[in-house]
Amino acid sequence: MNLFKKIVFKLYVIFLMVFTVWYGHFMYPLIFGFEGKEMAAESLKDLGEAGTDHEKMFVKLISEHGKKSVTDLGYKVIDQPYIEGRFHHIGFPIEPDKASLCVSCHGNVPHDNSKEVRSFLNMHAFYVGCETCHIQPKEAGESWRFRWYSKENGDIIDNPVALVEIEDSYKEDAAHNYPTYGKYGAKIAPVIQKGSELVLLSGEKEKKFAQRYVTELGNLNSEQKSQIKKVIHQKVSKTPLQCDGCHQEKDPYIPYAALGYPPRRVVELTNTSVVGMIEKYKEFYIPSFLSPGVGNE
Amino acid sequence: MQVAHSVLIRDVGMNKHVMTKWIAVFVFSFCMFSYSNAGFAGDELNCVLCHKHRGLSRIDEDGKFRLFYINQELFDSGPHRRNKCKDCHTDIDKIPHEPARKVDCMQECHMVEPSGNIKFSHKTVEETLHKSAHSPLDEDGKPKPHQEDYPGCKDCHDQPFYRPFSFYKGELKAGVSKRGISRCKGCHTNGDFAEDFYEHITTRLRKSRYPMETIKSCAKCHQDPEFQERHDLDDVVTTYMQTFHGKMIALGSEKTADCLDCHVVEGENTHLIEGKEVITSAVYKNNVQATCRTSECHEKAAAQLASYQTHVTYDREKYPLQFYMLVGFKALMACVLYFFLALIFLELLRRLFPCFSFIKDKKQDDEVE
Repeated sequence: MNLFKKIVFKLYVIFLMVFTVWYGHFMYPLIFGFEGKEMAAESLKDLGEAGTDHEKMFVKLISEHGKKSVTDLGYKVIDQPYIEGRFHHIGFPIEPDKASLCVSCHGNVPHDNSKEVRSFLNMHAFYVGCETCHIQPKEAGESWRFRWYSKENGDIIDNPVALVEIEDSYKEDAAHNYPTYGKYGAKIAPVIQKGSELVLLSGEKEKKFAQRYVTELGNLNSEQKSQIKKVIHQKVSKTPLQCDGCHQEKDPYIPYAALGYPPRRVVELTNTSVVGMIEKYKEFYIPSFLSPGVGNE
Repeated sequence: MQVAHSVLIRDVGMNKHVMTKWIAVFVFSFCMFSYSNAGFAGDELNCVLCHKHRGLSRIDEDGKFRLFYINQELFDSGPHRRNKCKDCHTDIDKIPHEPARKVDCMQECHMVEPSGNIKFSHKTVEETLHKSAHSPLDEDGKPKPHQEDYPGCKDCHDQPFYRPFSFYKGELKAGVSKRGISRCKGCHTNGDFAEDFYEHITTRLRKSRYPMETIKSCAKCHQDPEFQERHDLDDVVTTYMQTFHGKMIALGSEKTADCLDCHVVEGENTHLIEGKEVITSAVYKNNVQATCRTSECHEKAAAQLASYQTHVTYDREKYPLQFYMLVGFKALMACVLYFFLALIFLELLRRLFPCFSFIKDKKQDDEVE
C-alpha cells in the first residue's frame, strides 16, 4: 500500500513539474510578444523586398492565399473568400477542382483568348470538366458517356441533389427565391468504360505524369519540355466544342436529363437565346426605354 | 405602349437598319424577361440571367481575378437592393460588355432622397471626406503626395448589409422581429416597403458594421509598414489590439470602442476623421477627455482617464521613454515569473529525489564504515 502511495505521489510530482515547464513556455509569448509575430514579419519583409509590381503581386497573392472575409450581421455570419477590391459579396467558398489534370496547371480560370466570351467560358469551367469541350471522340460513331465527378477526389458520383433542390426552390415564394446555381461540388466530364468501371479520360495516372513533368522541369532541356508538353496535350482537339454543340434543342452533346437536370432547366439550357446573344448580338445595345430618366434630358 | 414605341422609333431615327436592330432588341428583351426567373428587386434588365452563375470570371490584363458573380440573396440584404444594376454600372449598354469603367459612387441614382426630395447621391460623403485626414487634397486644394494611398469608397466599404435588430419584448435581438414588422405591415402593404424601412432604420440605430470589421478595414492601410513609413505613422492597429479595448473586441464585444468611436467627434459624420493636430479633432489633446466621456462610453469618468497615451508604439527612436519602460517592465515580469517557476521546479525535483545530493556527506560515510 505504501509503495502504491509512493508511486502516486511521484507521478503527481512529475505532473506538476511538467506543468511548471509548460506554464513557463505558455507565458513566454504573453510577455515577449505573440505567436506568429516572426512569421508575419518575415512575410512583410518578403513583400518589401519584392521588386517589380508583378513580383509584389506574386508575393501578395501567396500571402493572401486562403484569406477570408467574415461579416457578422448578428443573425447571420457570412464567411467568404477575400478578393481584393471586390465590392459585391460572394457568400460561398470557391470550390477548387482538385481532381482535374488540366486545372492542376491551367487553374480554375483558364480562358482568356476571346475577349467577348472568356468570362462565359470560365463560368462553364465551374460545372464542366475541360475534357468535355476540349477532347472529342476522334473515330466516327464513337460516343462517350457523361458523368459527374467529384471536384475533391475525381470519383465518379451520382447526379447532384442540388439540381433537384434548385427546382424545388421555384415552388417557394417567387419574390424571395434565391436558387444557388453551381453548388454541386462536382463537374460533368466524359467517361469511358474500362472493364466493369467507368473512368475519366484523364485519370490519376495522367495527372501523376503531368505532375512529374512539372517537378522535373529543371532537368529537361527545351526540346524535351516541348516533347512532353505535346504528349500531355495529344488528346486535345484542335477546335473545341462550340456553344451550340450543347445549347441546342435537337441533339445536345451533353445529355442534360440523364445528368439529373430537371425538365424546366433542360429547356433553359437548350434554348438558344444565350448562344444567339453571343453570336448574333455583338453590337447589342440595351434600349434606353428600360432606363427611366436616361436620354430625357 | 404604342406611344412609347413610336417615341422610341422617332428617337433612334427612321433608318431601316436601326429599325431592324431595335426590333431585334425588342424580341431579345422579351425573351430575356420571359426567360427570367424571379430576379432581385433592382434587376429589371435581368442581369442575373448570366451573373447568377458562380464561375463567371476572368483574369484581367493586370493579372487580377475578376469575379462577376452576383449573389442575389446577399445583394438583397442591404440598402442597394433598391437600385438597378445600371444605376451604378451606367456605361454597360452592350452585350457582350466592353470593359466597364470604375463605378462612380458620387453619381446620382434613381432613388429619391425623401428629406430633400432630390435624387440620391453619396456626394455629401465625399465632401465630408475631403475635410478629413483622408482627403487626397491639402488645405490649399493641391494633391497631397502619395495620392494612391488616399482611400476611395471601395477601400473601406464593400456592399453594405442591413444589420436589423428588434427589442419587441425589451431584450435586444438581432434580425427582424416578425411581431414588430407586422405592426408596420398592417398599413404599409405594398411590396417590401415595410421591410426596407424597418431594416434601414434599425441598422442605422447601431453600428452598421461589427467593430472587428471596422478595425480590419482600417488595418488594410494602417497596418501596412510601407504605408506607415510613407506617411510617418505609427502602427496604431497593432498597438490598439494590445489595449483593453482591442482585447475586448477580439473577444467579441460590440460595446467596446473601435477606431471610429475615438476618432470621430460625437454626433459628427463617421467620414470626418481628423488628425490629432487639428484642434477640432476627437483626439486633439484638449478634446480627448470629451471623447472618452461621450454618452455611450465612460460618461461619468474623471478627466484623468484620458491622460494616458492610449495606444503607444514602442519605437526606440520615436518614443524612447515608453520603449525603455516597456523593456523594464518585461524584464521585471520575466525575472519574477521565471525565478518563482524555477524555484517551484527545484522544490518538486527535491520531492521526487529527496535524498539526492551532488556532494557526498562525509559524516554519513564515516558512520557507515
